[in-house]
Amino acid sequence: MYRYDEIDRSILEDRSAEFRRQVERRLSGELTEDQFKPLRLMNGLYLQLHAYMLRVAIPYGVLSAAQLRRLAQIARTYDKGYGHFTTRTNIQFHWIKLRDAPDIMDALAKDDLHAIQTSGNCIRNTTADPYAGAIADEADDPRVWSEAIRQWSTRHPEFSFLPRKFKMAVTATPQDRTAARMHDIGLQLRRGREGELGFEVIVGGGLGRTPYVGPTIREFLPARHLLSYLTAILRVFNRAGRRDNAYKARIKILVASLGREEFARQVEAEWDQIDKARVDLPADELARIRGAFSTAAFETLPPASERLEAARRADGDLDRFVRNNLGPHKVAGYAIVNVSLKAPDAVPGDCSADQMDVIADLAERFGHDEIRVTHEQNLVLPNVKLDDVPEVFAALDAAGLATPNIGLAGDIIACPGLDYCALANARAIPIAQAIGRRFADPELAEKIGELKIKISGCINACGHHHVGHIGILGVDKKGEEFYQLTLGGSGAEDASLGDVLGPAVAYAEVAPAIERLIGAFLEHRQDGERFLDTYRRVGLAPFKAAAYATAD
Amino acid sequence: MSAALTASNLVTGEVVFWGADGWKARFADAEVFEDPAQAEAALSKVQDQRRIVIEPYLIEVAKEGGLPVPVSFRERIRALGPTIHPDMGKQAEGGPEVQALQAAHGAARSSGRLGLIQRKA
Repeated sequence: MYRYDEIDRSILEDRSAEFRRQVERRLSGELTEDQFKPLRLMNGLYLQLHAYMLRVAIPYGVLSAAQLRRLAQIARTYDKGYGHFTTRTNIQFHWIKLRDAPDIMDALAKDDLHAIQTSGNCIRNTTADPYAGAIADEADDPRVWSEAIRQWSTRHPEFSFLPRKFKMAVTATPQDRTAARMHDIGLQLRRGREGELGFEVIVGGGLGRTPYVGPTIREFLPARHLLSYLTAILRVFNRAGRRDNAYKARIKILVASLGREEFARQVEAEWDQIDKARVDLPADELARIRGAFSTAAFETLPPASERLEAARRADGDLDRFVRNNLGPHKVAGYAIVNVSLKAPDAVPGDCSADQMDVIADLAERFGHDEIRVTHEQNLVLPNVKLDDVPEVFAALDAAGLATPNIGLAGDIIACPGLDYCALANARAIPIAQAIGRRFADPELAEKIGELKIKISGCINACGHHHVGHIGILGVDKKGEEFYQLTLGGSGAEDASLGDVLGPAVAYAEVAPAIERLIGAFLEHRQDGERFLDTYRRVGLAPFKAAAYATAD
Repeated sequence: MSAALTASNLVTGEVVFWGADGWKARFADAEVFEDPAQAEAALSKVQDQRRIVIEPYLIEVAKEGGLPVPVSFRERIRALGPTIHPDMGKQAEGGPEVQALQAAHGAARSSGRLGLIQRKA
């Protein structure tokens, strides 16, 4: 994977020293809270319900074992022994003290970690396919381009005060594991007719108060022009995006109000003005970045592992884990191993310091020293030999990390919600736990098949509820926690926004209503259909009837 | 309507309540103002404590089993800790005051914070 160079390290050291001085000035009273707040937010430090929260960036979701161990050390030393992986593939620590924050920044920097651009109206962490570099059918490795975007966007002077925050995703396979169409910019790597590399450029998707599935503004952008084209998009946004109303300031609102064609025309006109040679990534720098990602040495192995197959026959739990949590690798004899952070009673996305250490050890021993974070709040060991899977499974299982539910009903996205978050209207985590318990039986979960349940505790939609096959949105209804249910959303390549089922249901009624919805699905399902397929075929009516059958 | 005064400690981010002679960690030690004018006076008095607390504000307080509790669910979660981790936050120490907070229900967020609209203006 890519390692920071002297330039990157000097940026982190400078920022850390600057922040230490800012904290000192705040604590001495030299800075007021009004003056200090934007400075701490620029370093990922928020104030939430119980303490400060520190959001640490995990660029395109890639971690080394040493970095994951560093996060474990932060969790142990400065927090309550755990961290929370987010839908932006970052990690949040929820019990941070301001007086410790400068030391935490220094500790993070020792392993090339930081909190830069994890808040504020700037270009945030770019997310990428968590299977990047390991999956067979990708047009190119999204990490290469995500790293280029990271370098280009870090402290970019022109794009540090945008109308609103700005998020990008890069994906490269027909299957989209990044929710690319729900981003300010989604980049789909493609090969042209002659095999040349390019991007489909999607702009103006987003969730929140006004959700949009992003339209494509350019079908094929030659890859070498990525940075100049992004510059053109951001210039149009910076110039024409609204700054009078925070809820209307995202680029999705601009794209929707201008219309896709007019927005695209303005971008192309701006792009024509740009001296591309000055902005685009030089070929030698691209080669240097690419080289950093192609160092993993794979062995030549048979496509099937006798050792693993024998172990599967002997151990039903391992067999189930392999069925649900392994993905095919581009290299014969290897697998992509998904690590679920969604055990039935777990907090979705939470990982204890001890668990982080277990995963770091496994990555080092069996996984080419690499870990990925997914936007669905799980972790991935992308490069594991099939022969080693029984050992990896045993170690994960001992740490409570081998729940065989990837993509199934229990694999729920939930934001921190009202248990932690200052913006939330309702709790999300206990709803996820209540649903998780109902589908904890792995046989039942496998019978139901792929089902994406996504929960947000407020309309800002950090839990991606709009694109859940079943979406759950917490609302404050006359001072009580209520939950609006939506059906038929998808953040994948078949992206769509969910339809509102009907009146919101009370806290205690959510899990029973979900169970009835799934009952209706099993009743109407045709061969091999996913919940989403059945919903799209039969529509809202049978689900509505089931959901409100007993609640009135 | 009774009120209490809350804020977050600047240095630690911890939730604090205004008590008899300063900021207290436990809601049980919060001073309950029966008179709105007294509550407002307490709020203005702490406005210059910018090196000690962030964002002081008044919250509505009701009685639960004879003990004062914040009306707002959000404020009860602040006074207790995350509902999913009974071992974390102020609720960990237990006792009758904590039980009274846990027994109260209703009012998720929109209610119970006094002067919110004036404050934002």
